[in-house]
Amino acid sequence: MIIDFVNYAINGALLGLLYAMIAMGFVVIYRASKVFNFAQGELVVLGGFLQWWMVISLGLPMYIGIPLAFVLAAVVGLLIERIFFARLVGESVFAMVMVTIGLLVLLRGVVLLAFGPQVRPFPIVFPLQPLVIGELLIPTNLLWGGVLTVVMAIGLSWFFNRTRTGLTMTAVAEDHQVALSMGISVKRSIAFAWVLGCLLSTLGAVIFLSGKSLNFLASEIGFAALPVALLAGLESIGGLLLAGVIVGVIQGLATAYLDPLVGGAVGSVLPFVIMLLILLVRPTGLFGWRTIERV
Amino acid sequence: MDPAGVFAVRYAQDRALVRTRKQWLALALFLGALAVLPMVVGPRLIAVANIMLITGIVVVGLQICTGYAGQVNLGQAAFMGVGAYTAAVLAEKTGLSFLLTIPLAGVAAAGFGFVFGLSAARIKGFYLALTTIAAQFIFHFAVLNLPGSWLGGSNGATVPPATLFGYRITSDTSLYYLILISAAIMVSGAFGIVRSRFGRAFVAVRDDDVAAGIMGINVVATKATAFLVGAFYAGVGGALWAYMLRFVAVDQFTLFNSVFFIAMIIVGGMGSVVGALIGVFVIRAIQELITTLGPELAANFPFLGGDIVFASMNVFLGGVIALFLIVEPKGLMHRWNIVKSGYRLWPFPY
Repeated sequence: MIIDFVNYAINGALLGLLYAMIAMGFVVIYRASKVFNFAQGELVVLGGFLQWWMVISLGLPMYIGIPLAFVLAAVVGLLIERIFFARLVGESVFAMVMVTIGLLVLLRGVVLLAFGPQVRPFPIVFPLQPLVIGELLIPTNLLWGGVLTVVMAIGLSWFFNRTRTGLTMTAVAEDHQVALSMGISVKRSIAFAWVLGCLLSTLGAVIFLSGKSLNFLASEIGFAALPVALLAGLESIGGLLLAGVIVGVIQGLATAYLDPLVGGAVGSVLPFVIMLLILLVRPTGLFGWRTIERV
Repeated sequence: MDPAGVFAVRYAQDRALVRTRKQWLALALFLGALAVLPMVVGPRLIAVANIMLITGIVVVGLQICTGYAGQVNLGQAAFMGVGAYTAAVLAEKTGLSFLLTIPLAGVAAAGFGFVFGLSAARIKGFYLALTTIAAQFIFHFAVLNLPGSWLGGSNGATVPPATLFGYRITSDTSLYYLILISAAIMVSGAFGIVRSRFGRAFVAVRDDDVAAGIMGINVVATKATAFLVGAFYAGVGGALWAYMLRFVAVDQFTLFNSVFFIAMIIVGGMGSVVGALIGVFVIRAIQELITTLGPELAANFPFLGGDIVFASMNVFLGGVIALFLIVEPKGLMHRWNIVKSGYRLWPFPY
């Protein structure tokens, strides 16, 4: 009994860390341009398909194919900035966020055109058999993913809070005009943010999909990660870890204990209930540092 | 703006929505053309027209909520779904006439939308948009998890046909007239709302909510009202949708549909009722065109596979949304207004 509980909690926490990884893509783009990227899930799918293309379709060995997929994902990020956001410097945030909605539709179409709607196998990056410690079963991909998420979160929060480049990106998010007059390249910052966002999504795709099957519906994880980003507060990268664990454990336990009672899906809707509560009770999340204007 | 040489000399003239005799003529011709449409075009196009008109009602609601009041709403499809299910359940369980179920569906959806609009008391902007995404997920969850005997769960629910004086409205043509009349009522209502004090309050809140508050507008109530009105339109559209398909299922009302609704007001033009209708027409027409041309494309380019239709539609629509935001953020209606004021002023260049 108790071991089941611990098992569910640990697996939930690791799944939460995966959400935190996906949410990190949101936060990076939000920190650097104040744009809420609705297309995050599509970026995950695109990253996943790039890896499928390299490793399974072209048959490259994994140690070449996957880095190559990351390079391509970075190129996609650059292209997105060049085609869309470079033209919107100085425009309202509203327009930029709406463009990400357009991007959501567009990327889904591009993925379908390029890779088709079929379910594809994803390369097995992490060993399939779970790690067994006593009676605990821990999926290897989520365990490695958790470690990667922690490392990335620490690295990125150092980058954003301590380095010159990271701080200039925050300035860009605050106001394009001011950033420009201080000699900061707005375009370069936004491009960097999107490249980073694409890379993080691709990394998320490796962890999420390793050894599973892949089709365009995998993009739903983008919205599943929303509650984590909001609980952390959209500006905090380190806070994502705690928020991810909280949401993940709640979801894991709800799936295990509440779903059988009501016939399913509590686990998947509970994060959104949490999200609504956060939005209503404490819109800045746990660690967000800007006060949100209210009326 | 009035044409050159036309001046309002009475209050009634100043208040009128249709201001000149030519405009009356144009309106009468347009409505007449819509009325005789089923006799001119085939059943396939009538079915398309039905979908366009229903989408038109829903998107006009979204236009009031997003275009006029400035509240980004990504839950319009969920509100439509609430209306569709309300109409389905009322018609199936209580046997009420569609004359009652359609407005009641609107009221139910409006209540659901109002609850989410109330969160405007705490948050604004894109945080508010996120709560409407949550509305979408909660709608799905509720439909799929409430007892199957209530809403039919994942199997969906069937809807009895709308009947009037013993006549069953089931054919595409009879449905067309039902939907056309509803759409005409709803659209003229929208014109009324946006120039009433509520509509002006919406615009004031959109442009600057702090200034609107200082002028004595209750900002939170106005935002919640915007959601209420927008969701009412969605509910009416959803009820008509239920009567048209005679079947409702949860996957007819997805987040993706909401995104499409947003795309329609962007293309048509924010802050214009006619713009919403133009956006619906343009995007639905393109969708229809791609659906018709799709099989041919797939036959000519077999390497692309047969699923090219949905994919190329997405590429095209996503591209259109982005293109409009970058090149013409005010939409087609703005372009048209420029042309219109151009020819009205002609030949005087001022």
